[in-house]
Amino acid sequence: MPTKDCRGEKCPRESKPNVLKNPVNRFAPILLPAATAAIFLLIWHLLVRLSGSDLFPTPLDVARGIQELVEKGLLLKYIVASLFRVSWGFMLAVLVGVPLGLILGWFRPAFQALNPMIQILRPISPIAWIPVAILWFGIADSAPVFLIFLASVFPITVSSMAAVQNMQLVYLRAAQNFGVTGMQLFRRVIFPAALPQIITGIRIALGIAWLVVVAAEMIAVNSGLGYLIIDARNAGKRYDLVVAGMVMIGLIGLVLDLLIRRLERFDEVKWGYGQR
Amino acid sequence: MDNAKTMIEVRDCWKSFPGKKAGEQVHVLERVNLDVHAGEFVCVVGPSGCGKSTLLNIIGGFIKETRGTAKVAGSPVNGPDPRRIFVFQENGVFPWLTVEENIGFGLMSKSAAHREERVAHYIGMVGLTGFEKSYPRELSGGMRQRVEIARALAADAEVLYMDEPFGALDFLTRLKMRADLIRIWQAEKKTIVFVTHDIEEAVQLADRVVVMSKRPATVAEEVKIDLPRPRDLDSPGYLGARDRIFAIMGMDVHGGGAGDPR
Amino acid sequence: MKLISTTFLLGALWLVLISVTHGHLNLKWFAPKVAGTTAAGDKFRIGFLPVTCHLTCPVTDFINQQVEGQSMFEPVRFSGWPELKEAFLSGYTPATFILAPMAMALREQGVPIKVVYLGHRDGSAVMVHKDSQIYRMEDLRGKRIAVPNRYSNQRLLVFRALKQANMTVQDIELVEMPPPDMPAALYSKAVDAISSGEPFMAQTELDGYGRVLWLTKDVWPNFISCVLAVHEDFIKNDRETVQRLVDGIASSGKWLDTTMENRMDAAKFVSKNYYNQHPRLLEFVLSKPPDRVKYTNLALRKPDFEEIEALALQAGVIQKDVIFEDYTDASFVPDDSAVKAHAYQGLQGGEVPPRK
Ligand SMILES: Nc1ncnc2c1ncn2[C@@H]1O[C@H](COP(=O)(O)OP(=O)(O)OP(=O)(O)O)[C@@H](O)[C@H]1O
Ligand SMILES: [Mg+2]
Repeated sequence: MPTKDCRGEKCPRESKPNVLKNPVNRFAPILLPAATAAIFLLIWHLLVRLSGSDLFPTPLDVARGIQELVEKGLLLKYIVASLFRVSWGFMLAVLVGVPLGLILGWFRPAFQALNPMIQILRPISPIAWIPVAILWFGIADSAPVFLIFLASVFPITVSSMAAVQNMQLVYLRAAQNFGVTGMQLFRRVIFPAALPQIITGIRIALGIAWLVVVAAEMIAVNSGLGYLIIDARNAGKRYDLVVAGMVMIGLIGLVLDLLIRRLERFDEVKWGYGQR
Repeated sequence: MDNAKTMIEVRDCWKSFPGKKAGEQVHVLERVNLDVHAGEFVCVVGPSGCGKSTLLNIIGGFIKETRGTAKVAGSPVNGPDPRRIFVFQENGVFPWLTVEENIGFGLMSKSAAHREERVAHYIGMVGLTGFEKSYPRELSGGMRQRVEIARALAADAEVLYMDEPFGALDFLTRLKMRADLIRIWQAEKKTIVFVTHDIEEAVQLADRVVVMSKRPATVAEEVKIDLPRPRDLDSPGYLGARDRIFAIMGMDVHGGGAGDPR
Repeated sequence: MKLISTTFLLGALWLVLISVTHGHLNLKWFAPKVAGTTAAGDKFRIGFLPVTCHLTCPVTDFINQQVEGQSMFEPVRFSGWPELKEAFLSGYTPATFILAPMAMALREQGVPIKVVYLGHRDGSAVMVHKDSQIYRMEDLRGKRIAVPNRYSNQRLLVFRALKQANMTVQDIELVEMPPPDMPAALYSKAVDAISSGEPFMAQTELDGYGRVLWLTKDVWPNFISCVLAVHEDFIKNDRETVQRLVDGIASSGKWLDTTMENRMDAAKFVSKNYYNQHPRLLEFVLSKPPDRVKYTNLALRKPDFEEIEALALQAGVIQKDVIFEDYTDASFVPDDSAVKAHAYQGLQGGEVPPRK
């Protein structure tokens, strides 16, 4: 924590060190990853060429595969389908996981009763749930939504629970001292105090939810990026489309992470993430 | 003052915490007796780690004594109470609220106009005008401490428990805050229990200084400071009281010597 | 709190947006209803896999649409046997194409499943890598062979071939693998031989690294791998529809085996609209040689099934004797000679119309 006293004017919100101000730095956040990607693509291309494999696609084949998907109008359809399932599964997981985690973190008996169950269910891979999902939900959109929900609800619950348990005692004491109890205590103190860590849990869970989309779409839904990969495997030698599906999943995953990171910028939670 | 009614009454109070090893007990307070009258300003001094915060936390209702009784306003302490506000040694300002939201925290049941007026008043008093909308992470350590003090004062409690509230402040601010606190105390007839490790501060502020021994702590001696305010720091009365406390502490703190026990 | 309200607002907006887009693009919520057609939800569903053993399923669907303007059922494509089976168990697909031994085993386990017709005859193969030194069954000693599923007839086929070569299952290593993964496994030599329904066998041949060890028609003539099965309740509630289904499948089989043009057309429209494969794969399987897979003579015959039962019992796929009359319902089977091909003229060299 900086202890400089900013008299008169408000302290600058961003306290980034401006010492290393040289022109290269300004473009580094774009240039460096771009260079890494370029080198990666080059090595990929060379490896495929050198191995002489005509099954594994080069980056160019994959680009053409993506173009083909765009021209057929499939890419947008599949992205929308996957995002639809992930959005619903994830949203349900947040709506269930955060309150559940807060309750478990706060009420000791609830924790004792439910935590062992959660710890047992948590390590079960969503793939293992596929039969259950099909038997309960058939193969409509609800089955993958259910799988994505399952995959993301546990990390959210556990991180919310830990956030409450790790809360600084002094906040609680201060609140109790001012006579704040019951729901008010939850709303005004416990929840905001736990929020930064809850958001970290949510961010990790979104990554997992998106990771599970391929497995969730292995069920015979007929759209989605996971389906694209399964479908391309059916289609004989279309490994370019398999890799195209992988590339799209990766890129969208990146965008999702960048978006969810915006949550950490809000003033109410910025205190929880150290100085950046 | 001697005939005033007793506000705080601690009788034969013991406190021990479970130690590192199973079954082991760390004895922190032993046989502590303390009386504070309504409207009195009492400072508690003692070596670091002796149990000052522990005692204050027992009176404040945050921890339970192992043995003995602690009564406030005639009834046993049974948890924290909004009529008696605590200023914590570790900063208790809520980092998710702005300065003005923090200071208004204890005034939620009051009308918005009343709340705004009080918040503005105490922001001015602690010198944070211009920082109303800032978040605690944008403030310095001393500024955060001032927010907490303002929050406690704004709540308008009859008793204030202050655990080294001025510890993080610079010298000038500290002097100003001391003067302000005395002014508020005189104007609003509050009862204040003030923990500090700074003997000069204790003598400047208190009606009575309670000196604690090292752990397991008990009250070593109480020194009455019957000097008019504002206090003359060069008067023989002041210097005498100060030297007396130094002497008590010096005798009790092995290797600590006189002066700052830290 | 600003964070909470902003997140809830944006989250709700996003959910509405993505749901409407998904409904529009993938669920056809807003497409105008064509008169005379019914919504997909009203029709019964049939599960199938993109293999030639199930070819009559998409062919019937397609020709129904072309000739009658709409299909009587909704074909649902799966990628693996477990999902296909589970969808049947959950009641999502009241009818399905399924492995014959799997149907027997399910019946044995108390599932009310009834085999009502065959799906095909022949149409499987055992493939090895073209560089390998494997030319006879005996050469497979100590080698790794991939089959689609423990309940697959390909596994029984391997059992039968082992017996003929005086070998036992201990002499080889059997692994289970979804058919779509088999070509890549053979290519990388992760396995020494693969066996599943077409076109995944032909694919390795077309791509130049697979060689036929033998085709089913050579070692087990009239081999049956997949059958058409329905739920007992389906028969109880709607005998008429089951009959129409069996008749439709029978006519498709007949249509497929009438002329080579029909087969090439089927290769085109099934590849494009149902299997999403390159048409030359199905063209290859359906023509080289033409009797690689057959779609006539699909009546349920007890001796065929008894042979499968015996092998399945030996292989441990079923536990005790299952009763042919119990797991089949032959009452829908039309007389082979009475089956008429669909009155569909084929694509006539035109483009494949999209599926409605
Ligand atoms: N919850 C606890 N569990 C175990 N030991 C504790 C606990 N709280 C305090 N102690 C111990 O009790 C002793 C007194 O602590 P306390 O915080 O009251 O000291 P203090 O007089 O306020 O010191 P300082 O001047 O440094 O603030 C210390 O030795 C500390 O280790
Ligand atoms: Mg202390």
